Amino acid sequence: MAKTFKLEIITPEKVVYSDSVQSISADGTEGSFGILADHAPLITELKTSILTVNDANNRTIRLAIYRGFLEVMANNVVVLSDVCVKEGEVNVEKAHAEKDAAEKILAGGGSAEEKEKALSILGRANTWLKLANK
Amino acid sequence: MLSTREIKQRIRSITSIKQITRAMEMVAASRLKKVESRVLASRAFTEKMNSVLNHLVSSLESAHTWFAEKEQAVPVIKVILITADKGLCGAYNNNIIQKVVKFIREKTGKEIKLTIIGKKGNLYFSKGRYASLVEKYIPETVEKVGYGHVQALAGQLIKEYERNEFGELHIFFTKFHTVMQSFSTSMRLLPIDKGAFESKEKKTGGEYIFEPSAEQIIGNLFPKFVETRLYQCILESLTSEYAARRVAMIAATENAGEMIEELTSSYNKARQSAITKELLEVVSGAEALIR
Repeated sequence: MAKTFKLEIITPEKVVYSDSVQSISADGTEGSFGILADHAPLITELKTSILTVNDANNRTIRLAIYRGFLEVMANNVVVLSDVCVKEGEVNVEKAHAEKDAAEKILAGGGSAEEKEKALSILGRANTWLKLANK
Repeated sequence: MLSTREIKQRIRSITSIKQITRAMEMVAASRLKKVESRVLASRAFTEKMNSVLNHLVSSLESAHTWFAEKEQAVPVIKVILITADKGLCGAYNNNIIQKVVKFIREKTGKEIKLTIIGKKGNLYFSKGRYASLVEKYIPETVEKVGYGHVQALAGQLIKEYERNEFGELHIFFTKFHTVMQSFSTSMRLLPIDKGAFESKEKKTGGEYIFEPSAEQIIGNLFPKFVETRLYQCILESLTSEYAARRVAMIAATENAGEMIEELTSSYNKARQSAITKELLEVVSGAEALIR
């Protein structure tokens, strides 16, 4: 069995995931990357994206992350994220509604601030839907 | 002495009070349980974020603007106060309000702007001598304030801070310790206290790789940090509120029980003496007839 390391995914609302895993692949702001055991210390920002985890029993777990940071330190990986949902826990209806609302704001004239927010929410809704549809 | 009927009425009303306080105690207990798990999760998040920031700050080369003191240049202090929406929770609201009042008195010569979360705080400050200090009241009940609200509030605060609209941000909240114990405290959110991040732990595993640069990550992490701190404080307060209410209601239920006992015994006494009196009257009346 491949060497494992500890992964914790935490949002302010709850601890979403905490277990030992074999590998993680994630999308950072500077590009996607993978992490295996004994990775060098790293702190990076994550994009709103899908995080794929290979756990100790070789199961693949996919989680959608809305804005976050990832730290690797001595075989401890911590993901701090605003919102995080597991595969199968996506509220598809809500995501669709959010997507529509965001698109409406983007199509209509709003302040730059509003548009930026809508864009970020649109990205989230799209990621959520992507996770739900596989 | 009260008549038996009056006493009986009192016993009845206290019994119903006791039922109400018992019910409130149970409600508080169940809410406490729910919010307690939230506060623990949020604590975990804050702790992790602290440790990440610790690592970041210790590898920064120059001091970040977030640490810069600007109280001298901008003599405006923002104060966030978190109270409950309802009373009946012992000294919970009063303690934290008194703390703020003391703070306001100490900071003479500085402009203070209050942001209030919780109806009770608003009731206290919205009228009277400090009314002019209240800048904002967040009408959502404390329980309903979710992470989204906090994000909006924190985002606005950070923007104002960057525009130098205030020099310091303090938050007054009640830290939850155990059900019997919580502390009304205050904390300075901005500027961020650099001392808190001067890492005491030895670094292990060598230097960090930063993607993007440490400065950039910190620039994005600090607003997040303020956000989570704020959220954490709200949750701590909410938990303390339920704990305080639960304790207050337990005490009230106990007191009601004691009162009922006392009243029952005086009711029995009153009844006894009424019977004795009546008997005496009958007996003496009968005796008078015999003669």
